[in-house]
Amino acid sequence: MSIETAADTETATPTERPPLAERIDRRRIVLGVVGTLVFLAVWQVGAMAVGRTYLLPSPLAVAVAFGGELVKTETLSLPLVGDVTGSKLLVKLLQSLMHYLPGLLVGTVLGIALGISMGWSETVEDLFTPITRVLRPIPPLAWIAFAIVWIGIGHGGATFIVAIGAFWINFYNAYSGVEGVPQDLTEVAASLGVHDDWTMIRKVVIPSATPELMTGIRTSIGQCWMIVVAAELFGAPGVGYQIINASQNLDTEVSVVYMLVISLVFLASDTLFRRVERRVLAWRN
Amino acid sequence: MAELNRESGEDRSGADETVTDTTVAVDGISKVFRQQGGEAVRALDDVSFTVREGEFVCIVGPSGCGKTTLFRIIAGLEAASDGGVRLGGEPVTGPAMDRGMVFQEYDLFPWRTVLENVTFGLEQQDLTETERRERAHEMIDLVGLDGFADAYPNELSGGMKQRVGIARALAVDPALLLMDEPFGSVDAQTRGMLHDELLDIWSETRKTVLFVTHDVEEAVTLADRVVVLSGGPGTVREVVDVDLARPRQRTDPAFADYQERLLSLIHES
Repeated sequence: MSIETAADTETATPTERPPLAERIDRRRIVLGVVGTLVFLAVWQVGAMAVGRTYLLPSPLAVAVAFGGELVKTETLSLPLVGDVTGSKLLVKLLQSLMHYLPGLLVGTVLGIALGISMGWSETVEDLFTPITRVLRPIPPLAWIAFAIVWIGIGHGGATFIVAIGAFWINFYNAYSGVEGVPQDLTEVAASLGVHDDWTMIRKVVIPSATPELMTGIRTSIGQCWMIVVAAELFGAPGVGYQIINASQNLDTEVSVVYMLVISLVFLASDTLFRRVERRVLAWRN
Repeated sequence: MAELNRESGEDRSGADETVTDTTVAVDGISKVFRQQGGEAVRALDDVSFTVREGEFVCIVGPSGCGKTTLFRIIAGLEAASDGGVRLGGEPVTGPAMDRGMVFQEYDLFPWRTVLENVTFGLEQQDLTETERRERAHEMIDLVGLDGFADAYPNELSGGMKQRVGIARALAVDPALLLMDEPFGSVDAQTRGMLHDELLDIWSETRKTVLFVTHDVEEAVTLADRVVVLSGGPGTVREVVDVDLARPRQRTDPAFADYQERLLSLIHES
């Protein structure tokens, strides 16, 4: 049986992925399940030993709370759309997305734009190098003071903080990506009739720097979730705020639920983006 | 104005009689690099030669003789400190589609397929998508890569990549094909094959080719004429006519004579 399947895969075209059964490594799955179960068991026993849920909620308590947060409904007033009623957990997630997504988008676009401009034009580089050197090491959350006095700590303020985080990550990756564009390629393009900056950037610089641009976007997708939570600890609505809010009510099992929500959303968005990345960078494989 | 005056002087008479069939006129090129600390290094000194239309000319010289600098000046990628290059009578001021370039390193756009690499220059021209694809496929066939149009460069061997480079350069129908040690990093067997193919393409397209190499055997295999540069600073030592019928045989004693002559010219310098 095993000999037959080996022969089958050999005749398959090289671009085809091997069948699912062969890609799954049984040993790793078994060990992963065992490790997780041991962790959960130790946690459960530990929680029972502690005896107070607010000090250390047990995994069972967390599971129950997870179900509870999913079942509870909450109403959210949205501009344009009106009132939306749904599962509390999803409503909180939606609230976080309302500053995560615009912050990520604005920060990414502006960061890539400045990174490409500085990488490509020596004038822009000389103009902005000193100021970017000074501003870049400042952690995004340090801007919270201005977020509060300028915008207030609602979606606007949190969006601002997230955008700053996304901005520097994408700026840096785009900048070094453009610096790394081989000179041969721009020279060949010039000999093939590309004589203006915009065409060169569009047809050579951006495609050549795409691996770095992708790394920047993927890094910021993850980092911005960390920033979202931090920004919400100051009072912006969303999953991060629920973590601190629930613990203040001594419902720490609910805090853990929202900690897990962040982890799951991060894993989902990272997996999705890796897929996009693999497709966009198909020419590298 | 000074340049014009100088040209209308001594060189003018010689230039006039060949003006119709001279594709490239390299006229008194010098290049001085200023090193850090302000010290000037002269890389090229008063280099002059011409290339006739449809001719295959090799530039040979020891390493460090300024071959690549000369290549870059003719390509328009670098400015000469003195002198100038004319292509079909027009002065070269920058890189343009009238000079197709092929470099030693594989300079293909890695994110583009073979077909998309070859259409790159055509995209800067006023052509329809269909016209572009037709022209590109013609070039891909010409270099013998039919069937690989949709492959990405990193799926190709070194020799195949260099053929794509040639197809891409030829697609925009340049007056001159400029090649800087294009086969320097492929194995000897592939190199021999590429020589044959390049000569086939040359005789089929009747392009003028200017080919930079450090390898005298390659020069004798390919060239109608060989411009021998001597080093430090690079000057034209001699221009050698290679009067051998094609296809040339390396075993031919006359071939070996040319090789020896070129070698001794290079070593004397």
